[in-house]
Amino acid sequence: MAFNFNWSPLTADADFYKRAQEMLTTALNKSPKPPIIVDDILVNELNLGSVPPELEILEIGDLAEDRFRGIFKMCYSGDAFLTLKTRVQANPLNTYLFSKPSFTSPQPLAASSGLTIPLQITLSEIKLSAFIILVFSRQKGLTLVFRNDPLESLKVSSTFDSIPFVRDYLQKEIEMQLRTLMMDELPAIIHRLSLRLWCPEFRAKEEEELAQAAKQDEDEVAVDPFSSPPQDAVDSRGNVLDASEISSLSLDGGSEIHSLFSQKNLLRLAALTDSHRTLSLFTPSIRDAVFRAWAGPSERSDSAGSSTPATPSLQRSNSSLGTSTTYTFNRGSDDGHGHLPSRPSLVSMHSATSGLGLGAGRHARSHLRKKKTRVVNLRKPKAIDDLVSESGDSDASSIAPASEPIMPTRILEEPEDNIIDPPQSPQRVRFRDSSVDVSPSKARLPARPSINPLSEQVTVDPVPSVEKSEETVPIFSREHRPSLNSLQYPAEKVPMTYTPTPILTSSDSSILSQAWVLKMANEIARRSQDIDHKATTEGFWSQSQLSRDEREDTPPPAYQAAL
Amino acid sequence: MDYVQHAFYKASHWNYENSYSQLTTTARALLDFETPRGLRLNLSSLSSPNFATSYAIGSVGLVDGSLSYLYTSLPLHTTSQSGKIDLHDVIHGYRQIQELRRPDQPWMWEEWQGGKRIDKRTSLLYGRLYLPQSTLEALYLRRISPTQQLKLSAVSDGRLRNGGTILALHQYDVGKYSAETLYSTDGGLLGLRGIYNFGLDPRKENTEAPRTEDRFYGRFSAGAEMYYGSLNKSGGVSFGGRFATLPAHKGAPLTATLTLNPLMGNLSTTYAVKAGKNLALCSKFDFNVYSYESEVKLGCELWRMKTRVPEKKERSMAAKLEWRLDPVEENLAPVPEEVAGVLKARVDQSWKIGILWEGRVKELLFTLGSSIDMKRKDQPFRAIGLEIQYSS
Repeated sequence: MAFNFNWSPLTADADFYKRAQEMLTTALNKSPKPPIIVDDILVNELNLGSVPPELEILEIGDLAEDRFRGIFKMCYSGDAFLTLKTRVQANPLNTYLFSKPSFTSPQPLAASSGLTIPLQITLSEIKLSAFIILVFSRQKGLTLVFRNDPLESLKVSSTFDSIPFVRDYLQKEIEMQLRTLMMDELPAIIHRLSLRLWCPEFRAKEEEELAQAAKQDEDEVAVDPFSSPPQDAVDSRGNVLDASEISSLSLDGGSEIHSLFSQKNLLRLAALTDSHRTLSLFTPSIRDAVFRAWAGPSERSDSAGSSTPATPSLQRSNSSLGTSTTYTFNRGSDDGHGHLPSRPSLVSMHSATSGLGLGAGRHARSHLRKKKTRVVNLRKPKAIDDLVSESGDSDASSIAPASEPIMPTRILEEPEDNIIDPPQSPQRVRFRDSSVDVSPSKARLPARPSINPLSEQVTVDPVPSVEKSEETVPIFSREHRPSLNSLQYPAEKVPMTYTPTPILTSSDSSILSQAWVLKMANEIARRSQDIDHKATTEGFWSQSQLSRDEREDTPPPAYQAAL
Repeated sequence: MDYVQHAFYKASHWNYENSYSQLTTTARALLDFETPRGLRLNLSSLSSPNFATSYAIGSVGLVDGSLSYLYTSLPLHTTSQSGKIDLHDVIHGYRQIQELRRPDQPWMWEEWQGGKRIDKRTSLLYGRLYLPQSTLEALYLRRISPTQQLKLSAVSDGRLRNGGTILALHQYDVGKYSAETLYSTDGGLLGLRGIYNFGLDPRKENTEAPRTEDRFYGRFSAGAEMYYGSLNKSGGVSFGGRFATLPAHKGAPLTATLTLNPLMGNLSTTYAVKAGKNLALCSKFDFNVYSYESEVKLGCELWRMKTRVPEKKERSMAAKLEWRLDPVEENLAPVPEEVAGVLKARVDQSWKIGILWEGRVKELLFTLGSSIDMKRKDQPFRAIGLEIQYSS
């Protein structure tokens, strides 16, 4: 695959040339000049020529709307030229003495007298051949790195072409300068430009303070979690850490890092364990945590053979189904899309594993339950739409039109409360949840908060939904369900329920979560037993209406079939 | 330290001035003097006739300093107290060249004891360590014979290529002419320079008295230098001539030089005149025939003298007893005036001004200087500095 450059509009823009000339001038004068050059280097003329460079894609590591990573091969042998103007010291003895200590200098009387000559250098027949690593992300801008020395050959013609010594010297010096320009200066310039283009806060920052150091700090803030430690940090035993202790921690501090949690997060973890101990269906969301189960689907589908980036295609095919599972799946892919396991930059992977495991377990169950309560599933698209439109996620919004035509009226009838307030979940947990993350539509994490009420709701409100939807759309949902199951899920389900356990046991997370792991394992074991026992229970709907706890434990027929 | 080195030259009868590199000393002293930057303190001592130490501390941005030691095998008997030292020897100003002296004959250096020669070649060792920069300077100076001298200087610094450089300089001076060859390890630079003095040959006995009644009684010297960098294949050539009046000249002493760099087309003339007893003026004109660049520099030097108050003489006891006045003493030698200070100033065509005031306060020698750039109205003072020296 190769690019087809539209080279002429770029070269026709006069303003572009002016700007490029200015930038080149500053870049050339920034690095310390050799003593032979006694004046500033001025870019006199710049022409990109008519032959575009050839760019070849070698590898794409990561591709998304706001991210890109790839390796290119670039070749250029065009007719671009560049004319520089400066003044050089023509006396070699003068430049020789320039950087020498005066103590041992021969102290010539007049032999070192200077002769400065205006010099015009034309660089032409530039041949470039380079491997370029290009990393783009909306937050961090565009980073371009040359893997090898890009400059292959260059023709330097100057005023002194008749003198071979001077010509050779100039050729050597200019090639050296250009190499440093390409390898060091150019990536920096491009990075700064891209930040100015894509990061409005960066631009504002830059306008405020032009200091380079401040800029670097800004960049670092995004990377270093310890530069902005949690306000109420506690250690693994729950003792409150003061600011000095936090600052003493560093990123490469080893295992100590993992013992540092925010008190809020610990509370949330506690709520999580509580909810599972009581079999409550509420899952508090944990910020900055990756739920492996959600990352899973996209991964798996990747490996399943689709060579193109998996997430978009997945969304499309699923959204056409327009059912609840669609949404869940979408969500999962959405999430995985946000936090692909291939991204190592994610903060506190280890400390998040407890949350991760929880999420996985939770999610897996919700998946299963979705399948058993077919009617309930119908309600989910409604929730999706609300949440999606709230969060403003562009990916998810594509689903909305697909699901809307299926049940346009029901959405209106749906009580809003169901989404946010599941009747079954204990009040205690509910309060905490609302206090912790106020709204699922937080811009920062659109996908994760929305998922939790969603999955709850799915499993939790069979009572109202059964009455409403059974009359109208049961057939509809049944139509889709089998096909979906057979298509998407057969491979998934079995690993999904069991994978969380090994992950958790291996992880060095807190005692709380370890306790929960045991609990979870027990529950899973018990469930599988229950499945065997009550596999053929046909009176499921009445049962679930009668007792919630029983319903929680009762596996649906679909569940069993899936297993 | 420079003062001690010159004292060594003097003690070992070496004519420091008879060298091509010293052709324009006067102009350099009047026009290219260095203005101090920041505060600098110098503490020197000639603790024994053979050993001298010097410590310097300065503050230009950050504090830096240097330690230096000097050893000479030739005992130096010179005043080293900064309160008593003659400022003419310390401050470089208009330099009056002296009559050429006849070089010592080799037999003059011979010392015999018990039928064996016991004389040794005098030498000087000097080392200086700059502290934060970790730069080491070393100098070895040896008088091989009454007409020859070897000078080895070296700098060791981690920032330099190859960690340092060594310069070897061999000087041969017979009075009538002088030649120097040098080699520098940095770039493999080879150099050759020589000067020839027209006029009388000091080696021959001449009985006739100098014709001082001429309009100008002086000496004309011509010289040349040549350098070739064996590693970087570059070189340089220059020619120069100087006419300077000798002390016997009746009129105002003057020095005129002309240097020429044929490769680079550079032409430089200087003219210095000691207009009065305490005033010297100098001008310099540079011109490049290839690039038509030119430069003019003007400088002056003003010595401020302080006449010593003559001591009030009491009538002596003997005179009182004899009921007579003291015999009127003939004031044979007038009390030499003491130098209060020297003001140096220079200005060039781009209105860069340098001002230096050197003098003595009690026991301390001080140098106060500033360089001013009149083209920059917002911040004309480019550098200002004070240097204080004390020696014992």
